[in-house]
Amino acid sequence: MIKFHPTPEHLEQFVEGTLSPVESLMISAHCDMCSHCQKKVDALTADLASNELHEAAESYDPDFDLMLANITQQPAAERPSKAVMPAKPATTIELDGKTFELPKSLQRLVKKKGNWSSLVGKLWQSPVDLGIDGVANFIYIEKGGTVPEHTHRGSEMTLVINGEFSDGLNDYDSGDLIYMTGEHTHAPRSDAPEGCLVFSVVDQPLHFTSGLARLLNPFSHLFFR
Amino acid sequence: MLVGIPLEHENSALEPKECAVEMSQYLVKVAETRCKASFARIFGYFAPRLRSYALKQLGNEALAMELVQDTMSNVWQKAHLFNSEKGSPSTWIFTIARNIRFDMLRKVQNRKEDICADDLWPVLCEQTPDQNETSLDEQITLEQIGHLFDELPEKQKVVIEAIYIDGKSQQEIADELDIPLGTVKSRTRLALQRLKGMLSEYD
Repeated sequence: MIKFHPTPEHLEQFVEGTLSPVESLMISAHCDMCSHCQKKVDALTADLASNELHEAAESYDPDFDLMLANITQQPAAERPSKAVMPAKPATTIELDGKTFELPKSLQRLVKKKGNWSSLVGKLWQSPVDLGIDGVANFIYIEKGGTVPEHTHRGSEMTLVINGEFSDGLNDYDSGDLIYMTGEHTHAPRSDAPEGCLVFSVVDQPLHFTSGLARLLNPFSHLFFR
Repeated sequence: MLVGIPLEHENSALEPKECAVEMSQYLVKVAETRCKASFARIFGYFAPRLRSYALKQLGNEALAMELVQDTMSNVWQKAHLFNSEKGSPSTWIFTIARNIRFDMLRKVQNRKEDICADDLWPVLCEQTPDQNETSLDEQITLEQIGHLFDELPEKQKVVIEAIYIDGKSQQEIADELDIPLGTVKSRTRLALQRLKGMLSEYD
């Protein structure tokens, strides 16, 4: 059961195309998993389309005649024939013998994904190069694994792809989209038998808040990158 | 030339909803018969509206016209991707324009993110995978091998690297490292056995 959705404002900006690319990617992936939000997006898109295309420019521009002539000179786009259809690209990622199906919007990331590397305490991460400010990672928490308690200097967006985790604030399930900022301090932990795979984007290094993990802070730009 | 195809200026007053059925039919005709007259109707209705949207979004006459041109070109070339069950013509055409605008702004602002509109809103994707994804399997295999290679003991790694990456002979390596030729040979054999073992574990 998905409990954490994007805000209505974010959905609206997503549909307008004014939300940042990386936030848009997270929302798009969330909608792949959440029919509730997908329906909202469809409705918002139809409304926006009829609003935005309601008004025609006042005068008919003579340039349009030339444009029309040019366009209809172009051939139709070639439809790919079944015979030359390339092999189906990978839609899953694997770790430790487990295979995870990715939501459609994230499937393109399979080929941008780096190798899995082990972090402290039953955590695995695989960086994804999105060319963004900040870092994107697939993170896998094994059963019983914990991310040391931390807060955020910037913001963190996490999409649960498969499994469940809790962080002392809430319990999260597959499809949940979680926003965290400097106001939140949490320590994600998974007790699900299959562990938990998430896709996470942070714009600033994490700031660890408790115990020995505080020693990680000087290096947190290396950690979780 | 398109002499004789009248542009429909007069139906511009219609609400998008009122003409959805009509426009759907034109789109089907364009897809099936490349009917220029039908396209002219669609163009006459949507081009001025798209321009008004584009001007508001981009604030630049030239860019606005580019957006109209790109959007309507896509409509002409990919009319077969329109599906009236999924939404109205105006929604479909608007999403095409919105996507082009997203990518135009990305270019104009010189943003470096590797996320484009097609990834977010795949309205114009054929229901078949991308051509450039074919090399994927190969790439992953190479990545995996790179990963396995890193797990080799240092001494074996040096030998394998010299043979397979630098293209040296085993004798050259023996001379360079000042170790017996037999040692180079056995390290090579051990390394290859180990890689083979690791690869079969992967399968």
